[in-house]
This record gives sequence, C-alpha cells and structure tokens, in this order.
Amino acid sequence: MTVFAVTLAALGILVALFWLLFGSPATETPVSLDARDVEEFLPANCRHFPQIRQMLETEDYQFMRRRAPRHIEREWRRERRRILGQYLKDLGQDFGRLERLARLIATLSPEIRRAQEWEWMWQGVQFRLLYRMVAVKIALGSFSTDDIARLTEPIAALAGELESRMALIAECAPSRLHADVGS
Amino acid sequence: MGLSLFQSIHWAASFLVETAVLAVALRRSVFKQLPIFVAYLALLVTSESARWIAYEFTGISSRISFDTYWTTQAILILCRAAVVYEICRSLLSPYTGIWKLCRPLLITLGLVLAGSAAATARQRVHPISATTLIAERGLEFTVVSILIFGLIFCRYYGVQVERYLAWIALGLGFYSAVQVANNTFLGDWLTQANFLIWQILHEVSFNIATIFWIVALWKPLPARQPAPVLLARGEYDRLAPQMTLRLRELNTRLLEMWK
Repeated sequence: MTVFAVTLAALGILVALFWLLFGSPATETPVSLDARDVEEFLPANCRHFPQIRQMLETEDYQFMRRRAPRHIEREWRRERRRILGQYLKDLGQDFGRLERLARLIATLSPEIRRAQEWEWMWQGVQFRLLYRMVAVKIALGSFSTDDIARLTEPIAALAGELESRMALIAECAPSRLHADVGS
Repeated sequence: MGLSLFQSIHWAASFLVETAVLAVALRRSVFKQLPIFVAYLALLVTSESARWIAYEFTGISSRISFDTYWTTQAILILCRAAVVYEICRSLLSPYTGIWKLCRPLLITLGLVLAGSAAATARQRVHPISATTLIAERGLEFTVVSILIFGLIFCRYYGVQVERYLAWIALGLGFYSAVQVANNTFLGDWLTQANFLIWQILHEVSFNIATIFWIVALWKPLPARQPAPVLLARGEYDRLAPQMTLRLRELNTRLLEMWK
C-alpha cells in the first residue's frame, strides 16, 4: 500500500515538474511585458458596466413579469443570466489582471514584504473560491444588478491610479531591456 | 568477486556518457553560470572511478565497497541539493525582492526535510542497508521538494525558465522522484530479487537523467540576460496598500453576493 501511494506521489511529482518546467508560460511573465502592451495589465471590462447595467434594469424585470408571455419571460431571464455570467467572467479577468500587476510590481521591487505577498496570494485563492460559488448562484437564480455594480467599483478606481505608475514599470521591464540589448 | 561482464559493460558505458556530459559542460563554459553543477559532474566521474576501483580490488560485496558506494552517494546527493539551490538562485536572484523572500524558505524547507529524513532513518531498527535506503529516500525527497518549491515561485511570479536550465532541472528532479519510489519499494520488500530490480531502476533512471543533461547542453548556452532594472525602493510600499485594499474590497463584495 505504501509502495503504491509513494509511486503515485512520485508520478505526481514528475507531472508537476514537467508542467512547471515546460508548461506554456502564463502571459504575465515580466520578460514578455512590453511598453506597448501596458494596457494588458489594466482592468478593462469593468469600464463597460454602465451599458450592462442599463440592460439589466429592475424596471425591465417588473415590466416583463407583468406584460410578457411566460415563454418570452423565461427566455428573457435566461438571457439575463447569460449576460450576468459573462460579466462575472469578465470581472474575473479584471481581477486576474490586477493580480498580475501586483506580481509584476513584486518582481521588479528590490524589497518586498512576506506578509503582503501572502495576503495577495490569499486574496487570489479567496476570490477564485467565491467566484465559483457566485457563478453557481447565477446559474441557479437571478441577481441584483446593484450587487454586480458594487463589485466593479474597486477595480475601476484602482485602474485609474495605476495607469500612471504603469509607464514607469514598463520602462523597467526585462523585455524592454532585452530589446535594448538586442538592438 | 568483482563486477560481472554485463555490469562492467554497463559501468563503462555510463562512465563514458558521464565523462562526455562533463566534457560538453566544460566546452560550453557552463561553470560561468552553474559552477556547482559542473563540480557535481566532475565529482560524479570521480565517484564512478572510486567505486570501480573498490569493486575490482575488494569485491562487490565487501565492506569497503559498501562504504565507498554509500559515502560517495551521500556526497552526490548533497551536491545535487546544492545544484538545485544553484538553479533556483540562477532563476530568481536577478529579482532581488523575490529572491530575498524565497531563499530563507528554500533553506528552511531543505533543513526541515533533511532533518526529518535523518530522524526517520535513525528510528528504524532495520539492517544498515535499509536504514541507508530510508536516509537516501529522505534526502532525494528533499532535493525534489526544493526544486518544485523554487519552480512554483518562478511560475507564480512569471519568471521564465531557460531551456537548458529546464532540462538540467528535469534530470535532477526525475532521478530524485524515481529514487523516492524505488527506495520505498526496496525498503518494504528487501529481498535479493528485488534488490536487482532496484539496482536496474536506479541505474536506468540515472542514465535517463544524464541524457536530459546532454539535451540541456547540446546547443550553446544563451547569452546571459542583463539584470532587470528594479523599481525605486518606495514604489512597492506606495502601491501595495492600494492594491491590497482593492483586492480585499473586491473579495468582500463577492462574499456579500454569495450570502
């Protein structure tokens, strides 16, 4: 039994090793960062929220409940869920971009704090867990658009603050240095 | 009794391949980037010679051969651990902040795992060969754990692993992972027949690791990348609280949505 478990563990280690060494690198590598791709790190989707919010107005819901035939209303609700689901997905992407930016700052900083890094890692874990649970909730029922709106505010606010900082970070990015060396 | 004809041929072939890897490493000037790895390869060739002399002159089952084998093996494992540390340093040290964070964790992990391996081996009441197997397994596990931990850091922070380093690391990790399973197998079922299987797996896995190193050094090494220009010291402190606050807020909102 021990031999079987250890053999499985060794196989797992080998697969992990292979993935860590040769798995397709994530796009966030500082080496691949270029000044022209700075926007890639800034949250983008949350800026489109006003349009989505308009689409998901509560009055529309009340109107549909009163006036529309049942099958149309059902179809309409399904569409709303789809839009919310898509929006949550976009929100996840925005969070991912912020996270990548946080890691990039850490990568290029001469001093980083352990507690801070653990906190960012923990926030990422927490977000991913919650994200899955909310996705299930959206799939099962409906959501208040105010809730979704409140979700986007922090990302949108941070995006503006970070924009100015990003120019400096891009200047220091390793890929920029490589390009300079190569030329 | 010395080595059999088959064992002698296998030993000679392995010795030639290991010498070839060392020669290629020297030719490629790997010592400029990975001096410990080159020292390890040199030590490997020396150990093989020492073992062969012991086997030929005192017999494969003699106490001298046993001691020679396990002493050189212990030195080689420690050297492999140092090579793994060197690879992690080579990957992460250009990023000063991350390396300052990672280095104490790697050292602590190594010490804790090596310490627990020694403690486990001391507790066993098995014959000395089983005890050494357990100790070796613990140390190999330490080597592969340090490697994986360092690589997780690279992946998390998006540090790219150069091709030649990846193959060298794969060779080290592959051999250590196979030895962990192999020694567990023999430690649990220590018989003459199983010993033969253990020996074959042990040697073949090392031959495979050597092939990985040849692949790593086949092409000339890429030019050394210049050190990245780091941000000003206060930048992290200025940005970190804002980022934390936003990420935390976002999570709180998501949690509210869930409730």
